[in-house]
Amino acid sequence: MSTSEISNSKRTLSAITGVALGVIVLGAVGFTLHSASADPEKPVVATVNGTMDTPQGSLPHAFVELGVYPDKATAAEHGFKSNKNDWVQYGPSSHIVLPAHSYVTMTIKVYDSGEELNNAFFSKIIGTEGGVATIDGVNQSSVPANEVQHTFTLHSLPTTTQDPLFVNVPLPRVQTDDKDNFLPTNDPGTDHKGHTVVFSFITGGKGEYVWNCEYPCGDGTYQKFGAVMGAEGYMNGKVTVQ
Amino acid sequence: MSEHDHNHEVLAPTPGERALNYVKKKEVIIPILLGTFFTAIFAVLGAHFYPEWMPEEMSKDMTAIEKLMQVFTYISAPVCGVVLGVATYTFMKRKTGDVPPEDGPAIRTNGPVVIVWTVVSSILALIAVVYGIVELNVGAQAAVADSKNAMVVNVVGNQWVWNFEYPAQGVNSNILELPVNQPVVFHVVSKDVNHSFWPVQLGVKVDANRIAETIAETTPTKLGNFDVKCAELCGIYHAYMETYGKVVTAEEFNNWITSNGGHVA
Repeated sequence: MSTSEISNSKRTLSAITGVALGVIVLGAVGFTLHSASADPEKPVVATVNGTMDTPQGSLPHAFVELGVYPDKATAAEHGFKSNKNDWVQYGPSSHIVLPAHSYVTMTIKVYDSGEELNNAFFSKIIGTEGGVATIDGVNQSSVPANEVQHTFTLHSLPTTTQDPLFVNVPLPRVQTDDKDNFLPTNDPGTDHKGHTVVFSFITGGKGEYVWNCEYPCGDGTYQKFGAVMGAEGYMNGKVTVQ
Repeated sequence: MSEHDHNHEVLAPTPGERALNYVKKKEVIIPILLGTFFTAIFAVLGAHFYPEWMPEEMSKDMTAIEKLMQVFTYISAPVCGVVLGVATYTFMKRKTGDVPPEDGPAIRTNGPVVIVWTVVSSILALIAVVYGIVELNVGAQAAVADSKNAMVVNVVGNQWVWNFEYPAQGVNSNILELPVNQPVVFHVVSKDVNHSFWPVQLGVKVDANRIAETIAETTPTKLGNFDVKCAELCGIYHAYMETYGKVVTAEEFNNWITSNGGHVA
């Protein structure tokens, strides 16, 4: 075997090895990114039960229920076993799946205290049927900005491929001196009921949306938008309309 | 030296002859031709295709910005064209094979080339600076003149939603609706981290800070929808901090105001 033949063989082998390594590295990066983008929790899927007559005609009536818990102990108290950090959080999932072109009734049970919104705009109820939400059985169009616990604010990218959807519902805070409603974190086992907020809205076509809380309930950083407010899956999440 | 030799003495070339001889060289004329070709391509792109790729012009500011970008493209086209021409010629004449070439002669400097390069670049840069300042001043003067009759909109950025307050009309909305040909002044703030208010087709982009209010002015000139984005990375859902705006007729705007519980100013 001549020197040039050895050299050519080595070159070919090096080239093949290089390409193979490149493919492996790219595959590993792709697999890692795909794994990281996968939904880490099981979504909460709305249940369709009957129809609802609306100005848009008779639409499927879908129901979905969420809770807002100040910590994992309170969540467990109300039947939601969270495996996340011990922060305030929505449950049972931050990923909500709704049917398209449907009348959705959402029930949110809230058990946290609160302070004042930093933007009073989010004290208004927007985008719901009739512009109202039923709070403990009473229709309201807003909640005082200093009585808000969290908000459920659903919005989207204004693309040409999906319908716009904007819903904002402020959730009333639980008074710390309200023995019937307040559930202190160091007092589990007490039958405190919190508040129940019910509202409805109509979904358009299929699309990907997000929701987040507009009450600054994070730690002291970034105007209280740090920590839990900067972490995915606690006070924000996805909404898939399908 | 004989008389015969003296009659055939070779005179030193004049600067003009030197320049002509220099340009006649193959390794000079080809990059120049390539540079001219690329300059023409960039000029055509700037004149026709580039504006097509820019957002729709829905205000005087956006029209001025797109014109400015077009002029700057023309100014930079020769520089980019010549550099690309030299790079292309160098690539074409690259040495191939396993034997490396011998070192070329050391070139210290070339006075005429340095002078031409510096003067031409300075003139192009000066044109860009002067033109930019003039356009900026035209826009600023128009903003001052229009502000007397302008409608005020308070723009508030929150993670990750915009809202727009119309103080004179008593409306607060998540959609930015504006009447056509009506000057508008945006008072922009943030309630948490820094954002950047960017109604794309209106040609406005201004910081939204928590402490200091920033002000921007524009006049929508075309009916239709436009995008409102956040142009500053502001958290995990920064990419979703978008909404849309509408430029409508004055009548439609008044109807929208009253339907949202406001009053016509």
